[in-house]
Amino acid sequence: MRISSTKSRFLAILSSTALVATVVIATPAHAAAVGPICDKKVPVQTCQGTTSDGAPYVMMVPANFNGTVALYSHGYRYNIDLPAGMLPSVPAGYKITNTPEPIPGGNPAIANYFLGNGMAIMGSGFSRQGWNLDVAVATNVELVGAFKTAFPTTKKVLAWGSSLGGIITQTLAEKYPTLVDAVAPMCMADNIAPELTAAGDVLWGIKTFFDPTIKGGNYSAGAAGNAEAIGDIVKVLTVLGSLKNSMSTGAWPATSSATGKALQAAGVPSRSALLLVGLMAGLPTQSDHFDSISGPDGALKLTFPLAVSPALATLENAASAAVLAILATQDVELQAGGAVYDNTKTDYSARVEDSSVIYNAALSGNTAIGAMLAALNPANPDAPRAKGNADAMAMMGKMAATTGKINVPTIMMTGVADPITPAGATQRVVDAYAAQLVAERDAAIAAAKKSREYKAPTKKLVVLWSMTPKAYTTFDATGSPITTTPAAPGTNHCTFTTANYLTVAKMMVSAGNTGKFPTGGAIATAARKSGNLSVDKYFRAPLLKYYN
Amino acid sequence: MTRMNRRALITASAVLAVAALTASTIPAQASEIGVSNSEIKLGMTLPMTGTASPGYNKIPGAMKAYFDYLNANGGVNGRKITLKVEDDQYVPTQAVAKTNKLILQDKVMALISPLGTANNKAVAASVNPGRRGVPVLFVNTGFSGFADAKKYPTTYSILPSYIMEAKIMAEYIKDNFAGKTLGLVYQDDDFGSDALKGFTSAGITFAVKVPYASGSQTAATAAGWVTKLSAAKADVVILFGVSSATAAGLGTAAALKYAPQWILGSVGGDATTIKAAGVPAGVLYNAVGASFAPATTDMTDEYVKLFSDIYAKAVPGSAFDNNVLIGMNTAFVTAQAIKAAGANLTRKSLMAAIEAKGSTFASAGLVPLNYSKTSHIGYNGYWFGKYSPTGDLKPIDGKYVLYTTDSGSGAVVKSTYKRPAMPAKGLPE
Repeated sequence: MRISSTKSRFLAILSSTALVATVVIATPAHAAAVGPICDKKVPVQTCQGTTSDGAPYVMMVPANFNGTVALYSHGYRYNIDLPAGMLPSVPAGYKITNTPEPIPGGNPAIANYFLGNGMAIMGSGFSRQGWNLDVAVATNVELVGAFKTAFPTTKKVLAWGSSLGGIITQTLAEKYPTLVDAVAPMCMADNIAPELTAAGDVLWGIKTFFDPTIKGGNYSAGAAGNAEAIGDIVKVLTVLGSLKNSMSTGAWPATSSATGKALQAAGVPSRSALLLVGLMAGLPTQSDHFDSISGPDGALKLTFPLAVSPALATLENAASAAVLAILATQDVELQAGGAVYDNTKTDYSARVEDSSVIYNAALSGNTAIGAMLAALNPANPDAPRAKGNADAMAMMGKMAATTGKINVPTIMMTGVADPITPAGATQRVVDAYAAQLVAERDAAIAAAKKSREYKAPTKKLVVLWSMTPKAYTTFDATGSPITTTPAAPGTNHCTFTTANYLTVAKMMVSAGNTGKFPTGGAIATAARKSGNLSVDKYFRAPLLKYYN
Repeated sequence: MTRMNRRALITASAVLAVAALTASTIPAQASEIGVSNSEIKLGMTLPMTGTASPGYNKIPGAMKAYFDYLNANGGVNGRKITLKVEDDQYVPTQAVAKTNKLILQDKVMALISPLGTANNKAVAASVNPGRRGVPVLFVNTGFSGFADAKKYPTTYSILPSYIMEAKIMAEYIKDNFAGKTLGLVYQDDDFGSDALKGFTSAGITFAVKVPYASGSQTAATAAGWVTKLSAAKADVVILFGVSSATAAGLGTAAALKYAPQWILGSVGGDATTIKAAGVPAGVLYNAVGASFAPATTDMTDEYVKLFSDIYAKAVPGSAFDNNVLIGMNTAFVTAQAIKAAGANLTRKSLMAAIEAKGSTFASAGLVPLNYSKTSHIGYNGYWFGKYSPTGDLKPIDGKYVLYTTDSGSGAVVKSTYKRPAMPAKGLPE
């Protein structure tokens, strides 16, 4: 992106440190709102405060503020502390934090786009972490009001967010359509029940096949529950490590259940069982480094993608999703008052009916598939189903949720192989909007019969699919896959480039100003130039298995 | 916002009505992806390399040979057919990627003869040609599910289903090998499960069933099959797999001195491919095979004669075998469908033409095509023959005895079908 001299000044001023603001204001829970208190600096002043729920926020407003502000909602943050050395991704451990995040990842280039063009940015750290959809939406509503009060020349409010922040954004637009002018939910999470069903299916499958001592849910309250969840994380990661080491031999972990050991004796490789678990839960079969397409030169050129790569992709995706699956389950159980995962009526055979054909070889054929599904049958006493707490499940059902209704111009962006917030969450909105558009057109036709004037409904949704490359698994000289490179586009969680974010930001700003999207090929061209984004209207991501 | 008052709506409707009337009488240039004034682009995916490729990798050359012949004779309605071929290695995820390329990048009008049950299922689920309105003509798989027009609205089968084949094969076994100990080697996926359904519905009981996972067929794994088959003392063994599995099974059994009566499924029964894999013709001798098309050595058959002449000129030195015949026949049927769709060729008109006229298309098949508005089923029957000392499949006693059935509970019946004569020069009329 070409940067003007004025914009360059902003870049120089804005460090990423400033963008992930250190909040110095005290943040008592359920206190009166504080601030915003602004530092009055030029060219960008930073204002901080707390909303009435105690959530800290930050606003960054340029001196040439043009009346547009972009509200960003951050993604899921764990709601318990994690000790150092437990997770490779956070070797120093994790402490619960509510630091505000006014721009994705504190990215200065994205901040510079807004601020350099006279727009403000803001974001809250929210008053609680974990699954916080209800409170986060309320916080954002209050934050928008606080901004308008502090900056009365505000004309346009844009909202965007990633992951959990994506569904916070979508919910905001559904419930408060007059509050926002355009929104961009990115790598959006689905509602909590479908998300935790996917998480529960993965954990239950791993527990049932590979380590029956994993709890997989129904955690105790308080510190005991934290210990149980952390214990589960260790066990699941240990199982996945064992499976990784035995990928070629197909050996089962020593901790495997009697059911798992029986399958091993029957000649079913552990990698096939792992893949089946992933397919049951809806995990993608492409991951950071495994495309399920490529093979090393030589004898494994065909066998690797056909029989092994889908399992390796599942392994990598399960490792990415496992920690969040456990901690989100524990967090929502605490909020709901008991176990919320229930698979007593789940038909896993139906779940994998189509995918078991496609990945037949990697699942070791119909005979092995039949044996594994039989092992997961509720009639098998060694594979007890998980029963949820009815009251807790009812409570979870009362938590805020999206319907997929589109009220304002909306840009969605999602990775097609995201294992944490699957692309199916976006597909659900696409499907809902398709039905909405038909209803709007029918209503417009009916109105035209009375008014003699046809007013076509405006298209309000654009979806940018972050596609995986055609082939991306690479191999070293010995034919081993290389897993030290960055995750491929479209894989892992919210793997977007700065160019991708800027594409979304620019579309959101334009749509916020005009109330509509450009026609013709402008959007497709922008997506193509952004890299790995597609607006293919025929692309269809599978919905989360919860909806099956 | 688009605004249009009622008068404008009425006027527009009138214009459209007139246009609709004139469209049926005045040929106009169709506006369709993959179709220009001079060209029609078709695309196909199949294994051109890899374990499953032997034999099938001759199909694109065969189809191109016919299309080149057709193009040299003026094409169809003035348009020449271009065939884009992508190698999927028989890996479903590859088929998805390559099909996406064909549709989105190469912008083909239709997919033609994509091979493999799992691959076609993967494409249907991920690329979704049905939703895109992209015709999937004459899939090269006998999986019965693809005839489900509701689930796969733009997909048309051409091969008899594996269920049909198994039911008809069961009748042959009852008539000729009653009381014998039966063994079955099958691909352990929907290809094989379709066959199992057919045999089961026909009341056939196997003493031993040996499944193999797709891609695992090697001489080493085939040795395991032979161990199980011989342990069960199978007198008659059906090899119901791809060509590479047939070759592995026959070759390994011969090396291990195991010689039951072999019955080869049509998918893996191409003699040229089996022999090219190193299996001596003598091993094939007297094995039973099945086909819905004439024997490739039957030069008295007008289709075989013309197709073999065309192929010999296009691909000198390459054997005219069953894969070649099926490939050229599929191209020939496709050309007729395009012709029947008329000058205003669109994806919709092409599919409508198959449904309206497909059952009357000329073809080399000795059993009928069953297309209609409610049926996407292609051929529905087989004849049985034996492999000659040189490894060629020939009808028993020199006479084609055709049987037809369905993929359900219908009976197996002798066919009295008389196929249409080949149109002049083998060009669509």
